[in-house]
Amino acid sequence: MSAALLLVVGGLTAVGLYFLTGRSLSRIVLGYSLLGHAAVVSLILAGGGAGEAPIAGQAAPQDMSNPLPQALTLTAIVISFGLTLFLLALAKRQRVLSGDDLVEDDIEDRRIADHDATSATASSDAEIQASATADRP
Amino acid sequence: MIATLLLLHVVVCATLAIAGRRWGRLSLLIAAVPPAAATIWAVSRLGSDEPAHAHLAWVDTLDVAMTFHVDDFVEIMTLIVSGIGVGVFVYAYGYFNDKDTSVGRFAATLLAFSTAMLGLVWSDSVWSLFVFWELTSVTSFLLVGHKNTNPEALLSARRALMVTGGGGLALLAGLLLVSQSAGATLLSEIGPAEGTSVTVGAVLVMVAAATKSAQVPFHAWLPGAMVAPTPVSAYLHSATMVKAGVVLVAVMGPAFSAIGAWKALGLIFGITSVIWGAVGALRQRDAKLILAWGTVSQLGLLITLFSVGNPKATLAAVTLLVSHALFKGALFLIVGEVDVRAGTRDIEQLGGLARTMPGTFAAAMLAGLSMAGVPPLLGFVAKETAIEAVLALNGAEMWLVGAGVIGGSVLTVAYTMRLLIGMFGSGPTTPLAAQHGALSAPSRILALAGVVGYFALGPLEELIAPAAERLAAESVGNLYRWPGLTLGLWISVAVVVLGSIAGLVACRLRLSVPAGWAAGVTDTAVDFTLVSGRWLCARLQHGSLPVYLVTMATTLALAAIPFVIHIGSGSDSFDHLIWWHSPLQAVMALAVVASSLALAAVATRLGAGIALGAAGLSVAALFVIHGAADLALTQLLVEAAIVVGFVLAFGHLSRSFPPVGLRWRAVRMAVAGLGGAAVVIGLVAASHEPVAVPPLDEMVTQAAEIGGGNNVVNVILTDIRALDTLGEVFVLAIVALGVLALARTSRQDEKNQAEDTAQPTALQSTTGSPALETAVTESGSQ
Repeated sequence: MSAALLLVVGGLTAVGLYFLTGRSLSRIVLGYSLLGHAAVVSLILAGGGAGEAPIAGQAAPQDMSNPLPQALTLTAIVISFGLTLFLLALAKRQRVLSGDDLVEDDIEDRRIADHDATSATASSDAEIQASATADRP
Repeated sequence: MIATLLLLHVVVCATLAIAGRRWGRLSLLIAAVPPAAATIWAVSRLGSDEPAHAHLAWVDTLDVAMTFHVDDFVEIMTLIVSGIGVGVFVYAYGYFNDKDTSVGRFAATLLAFSTAMLGLVWSDSVWSLFVFWELTSVTSFLLVGHKNTNPEALLSARRALMVTGGGGLALLAGLLLVSQSAGATLLSEIGPAEGTSVTVGAVLVMVAAATKSAQVPFHAWLPGAMVAPTPVSAYLHSATMVKAGVVLVAVMGPAFSAIGAWKALGLIFGITSVIWGAVGALRQRDAKLILAWGTVSQLGLLITLFSVGNPKATLAAVTLLVSHALFKGALFLIVGEVDVRAGTRDIEQLGGLARTMPGTFAAAMLAGLSMAGVPPLLGFVAKETAIEAVLALNGAEMWLVGAGVIGGSVLTVAYTMRLLIGMFGSGPTTPLAAQHGALSAPSRILALAGVVGYFALGPLEELIAPAAERLAAESVGNLYRWPGLTLGLWISVAVVVLGSIAGLVACRLRLSVPAGWAAGVTDTAVDFTLVSGRWLCARLQHGSLPVYLVTMATTLALAAIPFVIHIGSGSDSFDHLIWWHSPLQAVMALAVVASSLALAAVATRLGAGIALGAAGLSVAALFVIHGAADLALTQLLVEAAIVVGFVLAFGHLSRSFPPVGLRWRAVRMAVAGLGGAAVVIGLVAASHEPVAVPPLDEMVTQAAEIGGGNNVVNVILTDIRALDTLGEVFVLAIVALGVLALARTSRQDEKNQAEDTAQPTALQSTTGSPALETAVTESGSQ
């Protein structure tokens, strides 16, 4: 296992996570793309050491790199490409609709959080009593 | 048959839930049918030695199943649950009036409870035991809160759910620990065991039993639950559900008999509850609350006797289990009847009912004297056996258990006297409403059963003794109708005399109703749980995507801790780790890291596009070095497309990215760095596992022979994984359609937007982005 490739996986993951936790949609797309790279490299890393391309006639079989993880990884590259493009289109649409490319807060979640934060300090008994009396016909 | 009976319960319950509203009170009688069927089945099985079994597979691979097992002891519980259930449903028919629209809901919920309780006592697998245990807690919650416009009922229901539900979690943890170390998930297969994890498990199981059976200090929910309609109090909170903890202690007792903590804890819970419950009963004025506190006391006695664990005590406990279900059920139903007809349950206001309700008075006397342990009633037999069991003990244990049993008995006589005198004794005669047959019949039958049980002790013993023998796993001796002039009898006489004096004194004293410290403590604990739950929810369900993602990334980083510990233990060698395969690989690796860091640092979108391309191309170069030519080719194409797409989508947006708060950025950097490190550590730890050497020769030959190609990767993709590759093509096609649709609507919206610019939408005004950015910054820095 090559430390150089480990460094690549760690670096790409870290920068990818950094972008993903931001608020700018275009950078989230970038982060997603980097995380995709990290996943692909880690698959290759787990599949064995470097070698010659696994093409018959080009090299002796014992010198070749493991072809199986490559075949699996190829699918991963293509699918993450598709998703990245889709994200780009979504981000562009968001930009058109709102004029910027920022991720907005989920208003419903926000409301729940605010409600809970305020009611957590109030006596919950009183609250239940209030709502129970309110329900009464 | 077991499965059929459960199915019958479920089907009737579902039918009532749907149609019960239209059928009104009739639904209560329909709901009595399944328990009646279960009772008939249990009666028909009396005397058969062969236990009944049922096994319903659930998750076979995990050894999770619903397993039921009905032996002699379980049969008694079945008779109690279903037999008293039938009586309670009939009683409820008289208790509710036709105008009440909630009767259908009540019948369905009560039957659901009945089903859960049957499942609980029949369960042999820890999984079904836990599931039905929690189901009884949930149905109890619904039934206590039946009057759902009454705030007190809602608070009591919540308190009951939090205490018994919390106990359920302790039960789950305890059962998992025990079954893990025993290597068995069937209660009947868990043998005697010792060890730390079994001890912890046993303690958790005992705590669960104490919450369910309302033992001090978890008892506060039971008196609170008395706001429920009387049928519920009689059925759930005296005869059946609160017995679940006792049953658990009884069934697990043999397996835990060698564990000191189990027995000690059981005795502490039991003896404290016997005394404290009886004292509580003496101080209440509400007849129903007197009975509820009395139940706490009697359940304490049951737990004490089962925890003692010698054969005689087990026999006494099973006898008390039966007689308690009869007399306490009867007393609850009588109090409910008095409540309906006289309009109050306050023993200070009630009086003179002996003349106006003679039948009820007679039944109450029979049940009450059975509770006090006076012959010729079944309660006397139970108490005598308990006293004999105490006398058979030695040393400190005898004095301790004896103090509980005998002190509790004295107090029981006292509060029984006070209850009977308060309700039926002299005083201003309370005016009564009209009588309903269904309201009185079940309590008469239950009260008379105490007398019949005493005189027909022979047949009853054939029911009780095998059950106790099954729990004690040895001969338990006999029950005696009359013990002769033994020490036990003299103790019993002393108990009745002392208790009567105490009872008469208590009637004169007019004790004040206590403030109920336990309810306060329980409520504080419940409130604390709910408030901290809301606090956590407000922190986790924050509404901001970045915060969610930071939470997830932190979790990812924390997930690496076991790997760090594993690596730190030094048990693995890391000889297979090399710096690089070739110097060029190291150079390209640095190029990837450098360009991604540049991507993070660059402030303009065009620069970002370039850096993204650089990172992608370096990865492609790494593939070439690794010997993965196809990957490199694909990566080149994909990267080009993404860079073009990025520039098209964002190229003409404002040139630079929006600014980010410094502190929030620091949090993100730390979390991202830790996340990256976690992935690397995970990979290193996992790499120790040997990788199978790929059969390269074979692959190359087969690729040529079967696939007819030289490029092994291509052959795998197009021949072996052909269907996957086809799916991939579809995915890309769908993505293309989606992108096209999004791009087209965007253009349409752009036109609309231009027309609407004068009126910003509500959405935008409420979530103005700069304000939110600050909000996130603040929350991140907190």
